[in-house]
Amino acid sequence: MGKNDHEAVRAVLDGDKDAYGALVVRHSHSLFRVAFRITGNEADADDVVQEAFLRGYRKLESFESRANFSTWIYRIAVRCALDRLKSSKGNDRSRVAEETDPELDDVQVADGAASPERLLLSSEIGAMQEAAMRGLSPTERTAFVLRHVEDCSTEQIAAALGIAPNAAKQAVFRAVHKLRHRLSAFKVRI
Amino acid sequence: MKHLTEEELVAQALREREHRRDDKRADAVEGHLADCAACADSYLVLLSDLAAMKQMTTPVRDQWYGERVWQSIEGSLTAYEQSQRSWWRPVRAGAPVWKGLVYAGACALLMVGAFFAGTQWEHWKQQPPTAKVEHKTPQTKQPIVVVVLDEHLDRSERFLVELKHADLDSPAMASPIRDEARSLLAANKVCREKAAETSDPELSTALDHLDRLLAEAANEPGGLNPRSIAKLQEQMNSDGLLFEVRVLRSRIASRKAAGNIAFKGGTT
Repeated sequence: MGKNDHEAVRAVLDGDKDAYGALVVRHSHSLFRVAFRITGNEADADDVVQEAFLRGYRKLESFESRANFSTWIYRIAVRCALDRLKSSKGNDRSRVAEETDPELDDVQVADGAASPERLLLSSEIGAMQEAAMRGLSPTERTAFVLRHVEDCSTEQIAAALGIAPNAAKQAVFRAVHKLRHRLSAFKVRI
Repeated sequence: MKHLTEEELVAQALREREHRRDDKRADAVEGHLADCAACADSYLVLLSDLAAMKQMTTPVRDQWYGERVWQSIEGSLTAYEQSQRSWWRPVRAGAPVWKGLVYAGACALLMVGAFFAGTQWEHWKQQPPTAKVEHKTPQTKQPIVVVVLDEHLDRSERFLVELKHADLDSPAMASPIRDEARSLLAANKVCREKAAETSDPELSTALDHLDRLLAEAANEPGGLNPRSIAKLQEQMNSDGLLFEVRVLRSRIASRKAAGNIAFKGGTT
C-alpha cells in the first residue's frame, strides 16, 4: 500500500494528474470517518475530505519519501476539520453565554431541538454525545477524537494539531472532564 | 488517604489503552486503586463513560464515495509540470535511494571540479611574470636559437675554412684568426649550453670539438704563429671538424626550413 502510494505521488509530480485520483479513492473513506468524528456533521465532513485532498495536492512537493502518505493526508484532514470547527464555532448560535458551573468555566449547550428529555425519549445516544461534544473547544474535541476514538498517541495528536505533546495531553484531559460533566447532567435528567 | 484526581484517573485509563506500564506513577495509581474502593468505583465509572463515548456512530459511505470525491476536485487541479518541480524533488518524493546517491555524487563531483579549477586558476594567477616568460621560452625563443645556431655554425665554417687555408708565411693572418676565435668561443659556449639541453649527441660532440679548437686559437700563449696555426690545422683535420660543422649546418638548415626543430626538450 505504502509503496503504491509513493509511486502514485511520483507519477503525479511527473505530470500524471489522474494518479492522484487513485490516492483519493484509496483514502477517502478513512478521511471521511475522522472528519465526521471531529466535525460531527456529514456535510462538513464531506467538505473536509475534499479540502484535505485539495490541500494535499498543492503541497505534494513537500511530501517526504520517508513519510507515509496515509498519515500525511490524515494530518491534513485533521487540520482541515479543526479549521472547519473553528470557523463554525464562530457562527454557532446554539451556544449561550451563561455559565452552568462557574468552576468549570464552561457554557451550556442550548440545543432546543435535542433537549435531554427528547434524547431520553428517542434513545438517541449518539445525538446526546454529539450535544456533549459541542461543548468542547475545537482543539479539545479534535484531541479527544484522535485520542479516544482514533487511538492516536499523544505525540501523533500533537503533530496533527501543531501543538506541544503536553498541550495535547491537557486538551484530552479537559475534553474528558467536560464530556463527563455534560453526560452526568443528562444522566441525572434521564 | 488522599484520593486520586480525575486527571490521574484519565491518565491511568489512557495509559492502559496505550499499554504503557513503564511509568512509576502508573504503578502508584494502580496500587491506590487496589486499596481504595472509592477511587476504584470512580475509575470504573470513568471507563464506562469513555466506553460509551467511544461508541460514536459514523455514517457509512458507499464504495463509490472516493470516485465522487475525485470527480468533485479533479477540475480544480492543475497537472504538475517538469519545470514547476524543484530539482531536489525526486529525492523528496519517494525516488529510489540510488537516485539520491547519484544526485549527491554529481554534486560532489561538481564541487571537486570547481575546487580543482579554482586552485589551478589561482596557481596560474600567482605565477610571477618571469615564470610566464620561461613558460613561453620553448615557443618564442626556439626560432631565435635556431637562427643563432645556424649563424654560429656558418661563422664557424668560414673560420675553419680560413684556418685551413691560412697562409702560414703571412704573420698578418694570426691576429684576425685569434680575434675571430675569441668571438666564436663566446658564442660557442652559449650554443654548447643549449646543445647540452637537447638530446642531440652529434651537435654536442661537434660543438665540443669546436670549443677546444677555438679555445686553443684564442688563448695561445704569445699569440698565434705559423707553428700554432699548423697545429690547429692538424687538429681540425684529424677531428674532421669542418666536415662535422658542414653536416650540422646542412641538417639544421633543412630542419629550419621544415620548421620542426626543437632546440629545447627534443630535436624534432
